[in-house]
Amino acid sequence: MKTRTLMVVDDSMIFRNRIARLATDERLPGLTVVALAEDGLQAIERAKLYKPDFVTMDLTMPVMDGPACLEALRTVLPSSRVLVVSALSDRATALKAMTRGAHGFLLKPFSDTQLVESLQELMA
Amino acid sequence: MTTTRLQAEDIKVFSDAAKSFFSQTTGHKATVRTAYMLDSFETVVWNDFQGRIELGGTFCGSVTFSAPRGLLTYVLLRMGESSYTDASYRDIVGEIANQMSGYARRHFGESMDISPPKVITQIEGVMPPLVDAVPFVIPMLWDRFEAHLVVRMGKRAMH
Repeated sequence: MKTRTLMVVDDSMIFRNRIARLATDERLPGLTVVALAEDGLQAIERAKLYKPDFVTMDLTMPVMDGPACLEALRTVLPSSRVLVVSALSDRATALKAMTRGAHGFLLKPFSDTQLVESLQELMA
Repeated sequence: MTTTRLQAEDIKVFSDAAKSFFSQTTGHKATVRTAYMLDSFETVVWNDFQGRIELGGTFCGSVTFSAPRGLLTYVLLRMGESSYTDASYRDIVGEIANQMSGYARRHFGESMDISPPKVITQIEGVMPPLVDAVPFVIPMLWDRFEAHLVVRMGKRAMH
């Protein structure tokens, strides 16, 4: 089975842990969390180092926010697929994220099943 | 700074945000009580932990979620978290404020900027006055715990 790698980017420790824990779900075979980051700048540094196949990305973060990080990630790691996981629920934000390189959008709060299904779609 | 006053339907948005958060995260609805205006800008800290979001863009002010440790423990439990440290409580109280503000943004639009959450102490609980933007409190009851959402918000007048 091919191993595929995930980086979780969120300024909330609780959400980083939750997403990392759910990424080990049996419905996501072969997915391994290789990095956690608490802001956009840390995410870029870790993306260069670990080259994750997939990224979950919060939008509202200190130091470098999600939209800026999405732009930078597109240059640093253009092949990675990004799922935005955010409480910002308006259509314009989702659209902006997609035009900056996101491949999916999941609204907080989310259920365990919603996250697993969103990651399955991202990996498909 | 000149601001325009919030309307009753704007306040309802935040009540709905609180209901939505508890319903989706815990599977149990919160009972939201009647909102009331605060008659001062004194410290508004009622509970063990307070998370605050600062508003920007065409809006100004803040949204503060205040909750007791017991309520936050249940929320963490529901989210599958097994760590119940002060760091976990500070994290989740800020995240709840963030998610309620995010819900409200759906109503107010993308011109409402939302800061990353900040956990505040009692001293920081004092809210600087905003012209024509009286803070209001939305009390809520979830299980046997009482929590509060404090909204101090104005919309910058366009000239």
